[in-house]
Amino acid sequence: MSTGALRKTIIVLTAIGLCLAGYLTYVHYSGATPPCSIKGNPCSQVQKSRYSEFVGIPVALIGLIGYIAILASLLAPEDEKARFLTTVLSIGGFGFSAYLTYRELFTLEKICEWCVASALLMTVIMCLSIWRYLRGERLPTGAIVAPG
Amino acid sequence: MSNPGVEDGEDLTRKQRREQARGERKALEQAEAARAKRRTRLTQLGVVVAIVVVVIVGIAIATNSGKTKTIKPGSSTANANVAAVSTLLNGIPQSGNVLGNPNAPLTLKYYGDLECPICKEFTLSVLPALIPKYVRTGKLKIEYRSLETATREPEVFKSQQVAALAAGKQQRAWNFLELFYHEQGEEGSGYVTESYLQGLASQVPGLNLAAWTTARSDPALANEVTADAQAANQAGFTGTPSFELGKSGTLQKLEAGTFTEAAPYEAAIEKQLKG
Repeated sequence: MSTGALRKTIIVLTAIGLCLAGYLTYVHYSGATPPCSIKGNPCSQVQKSRYSEFVGIPVALIGLIGYIAILASLLAPEDEKARFLTTVLSIGGFGFSAYLTYRELFTLEKICEWCVASALLMTVIMCLSIWRYLRGERLPTGAIVAPG
Repeated sequence: MSNPGVEDGEDLTRKQRREQARGERKALEQAEAARAKRRTRLTQLGVVVAIVVVVIVGIAIATNSGKTKTIKPGSSTANANVAAVSTLLNGIPQSGNVLGNPNAPLTLKYYGDLECPICKEFTLSVLPALIPKYVRTGKLKIEYRSLETATREPEVFKSQQVAALAAGKQQRAWNFLELFYHEQGEEGSGYVTESYLQGLASQVPGLNLAAWTTARSDPALANEVTADAQAANQAGFTGTPSFELGKSGTLQKLEAGTFTEAAPYEAAIEKQLKG
């Protein structure tokens, strides 16, 4: 995959995550009930639980801010620092998503499809960002003098 | 005599070899630089991952510290609670959500939310005085009604209240209710999970768990919870615990002004009994 295509893929995934987090932020503040295919609407229960806020801030809003920050780092002129920033933010996002998933599974014993979708997206974004950072900037073909 | 053509050829080959060697050296240097860069990046990522892990574990521990640990079934505390509830209720007739003789002259309707801490205070402070004095003696029956106040999630509220009513199908609703209040967790901590309800039910002496589980899906019980909310709304109740006291058909709001002292409740009951 070319450097540009990889960056675009991460941008698209981040934009989807941003929409997800935006919707969950709206749900939190409006008190709306998110649609859920699981019986008993555990999504709503998770959204209204004490773990829907962290130090008084809705976790959906934290997610929204996180996705915006990742998107901003991706839209910045591409260099080593920007790639590193994307990776750091996505690792942080993944860690926070892992914590929230742990709370869902082992504390609330309920699973929210919207949260799982966001956690999976963040996982893929993190993996792609790490790959992008580790391989660095791909120079155009022929820039490196091949031995022999 | 030297041959110019051969010398040119040899020079060219030497030149090519030098260039080739330079190219190989450059490629090796570039490869080594790339490896070094990759090592640096991996180290940086390792540091970032370590920091994130420490922060997340810290958050998990910090958010755990505020959470009340629920009482484990079979623990000494749980056994003491079960014994206290049994002592309080044993021998008193139960029917559905009603504790006491169905023909008792007086009825106390108790609107509560199982996660409401004030209901817990009332249940643990006032009821132990009222039950032996008025319910056991057949003068008063207490009807438990559901009104959502402290529980944040409507589905959890319905689930926990229905769980209590399902125990009522085996004349053990009050054992379940009392145990719930005795073992109540911190408000809003999300402690009421399926395993919590199962654990509570397993502590109710004589409760057939299979029948209890089946009864929980009875839509009539969920409807009862909804009807209780409507009745509370009609009575103008917005908080729990709320009460109505009186003879059948003439129940009136009871505002005792306290949820921890039995005296005002006893005075109201005595007044109704004499009246």
